[in-house]
Amino acid sequence: MIIGIVAGFVAGWSLRNYLGETSKATIFRGKFSEPPPPGKEVVIVLGFDASYPPFTSINEAGEAEGFDIDVMKWIAKKYGWKLVFKPWDWSTIVTALENGDIDVIASGMTITPERASRKIWFSIPYYSYIHEIVVRADDNRSLEEILNSGQPIAVQIGSTAEKWADKLLKKGYRFEKLCLGSYVEALEALLDGRAVAYITDSAFLNPHLSKNPELKTKIKVLTTLGAPETYGIATRPEDVWLREKINEALSELMNSPEWNELLKKWHLE
Amino acid sequence: MNSMTSLSKYLPYIFEGSLWSLGLVLGGLGIGFMIGVMFSLIEVYNNSPLKKLISLYIWFFRGTPLIVQLFLFHWSIFPALGIKSTPLTTSITVLGLRSGAYQSQILRGAIGSIEETQMLAAKAVGMNDWDAISSIILPQALRIALPQISNEYSIILKDSAICFILGVMELMTRAKYTAIATGIALIPYLVAGLIYMGLTYIGTKLFDLIYLKMKIPGSVEG
Repeated sequence: MIIGIVAGFVAGWSLRNYLGETSKATIFRGKFSEPPPPGKEVVIVLGFDASYPPFTSINEAGEAEGFDIDVMKWIAKKYGWKLVFKPWDWSTIVTALENGDIDVIASGMTITPERASRKIWFSIPYYSYIHEIVVRADDNRSLEEILNSGQPIAVQIGSTAEKWADKLLKKGYRFEKLCLGSYVEALEALLDGRAVAYITDSAFLNPHLSKNPELKTKIKVLTTLGAPETYGIATRPEDVWLREKINEALSELMNSPEWNELLKKWHLE
Repeated sequence: MNSMTSLSKYLPYIFEGSLWSLGLVLGGLGIGFMIGVMFSLIEVYNNSPLKKLISLYIWFFRGTPLIVQLFLFHWSIFPALGIKSTPLTTSITVLGLRSGAYQSQILRGAIGSIEETQMLAAKAVGMNDWDAISSIILPQALRIALPQISNEYSIILKDSAICFILGVMELMTRAKYTAIATGIALIPYLVAGLIYMGLTYIGTKLFDLIYLKMKIPGSVEG
């Protein structure tokens, strides 16, 4: 009986939270729904996955660095906001945003219909890229042969690359999906032979190759997948004011020469 | 070579993580010890419905993965109770509650290994229940349990790595970020492994010292 009461209580609460979320978007006021009263400091907690260079990673001093970090710093500076950097595991980052552990996600997050319709709303897109299947340079098999090899293909867990692997499996291809913690680990798996191929995207691979030129002779892009996709900054649906401010700043930044300098700085051209 | 020098610059960052790990472990072990003592005494000496509740508690905390407990407390139970908890406090609390379940069983075993006649003897010289427990049974039981609590320390130390799922920047997480930022997979993890070994060594040595200091010659624990 006690288990029942406790379980019921917890389940009820979770359900309430979950159901509440959809209505909150339109009815309830969020933390950043409206402009703050004048004179009050705006503190934004930025959640990011520090395992996604060059967009988000950690430098020697333990500070956040990367393209997305610079973009958010630029935005915060424009409005005089205080930024708090909070590294968070990618697999639970959306829940952390919903529950207010963090206020925005700027971490190379792809705008997808599932994500956008559910619990997070995105800023305007600020970067576009395309998915790619990468194999070792000495592998001469065709795409068809690789996808039907029954062997492991590495992806980052929870990423859009994993979605692509699922899509391909659904189409009837026969390979094993090998989920790893980050794009870098997945690439490692390809290089040391645990995987025969690796699904990634140009946003990660191109800068990674220009940073590690020795890799260029070891791997090759077999094909691109689908159409280009875009990154956006994620916010809670109800934080209308915050999203508007971010959009305003993003369009200003993207139309300024500083944008190209930032892209160049992180090898993203 | 270049990447190796950049790796060496990350070492202080990794080392700093050991402070977070130690904080998690000491907090967890401490809370767990208090819960453990309380619950083991109730389990052995009390016959109320409390005993049932405690066995449910132990079942839950030993029966579910730490990750599940962290999520449940951080995103369901604490918000439902109106507690605004930071990832660090949730992590320490959950590690403590969890360790409490394990330590209560360690201590229950230790209490059980003390002969019942000692309790009878204590009562025969006029001690009440609490006096007998606090000055006869517990001092022996805690000594007997010490080696196992030291074991528990080394287990929580490595369990604490899971707290990263709530964004606590402990040792393993820092090793992971370093591996990703430098593109070197093996060495940052090896460094973290060595630090864990060091922390385990220091911790268990400390427990050994306490054990030697407190040992009663000729008693059960030998």
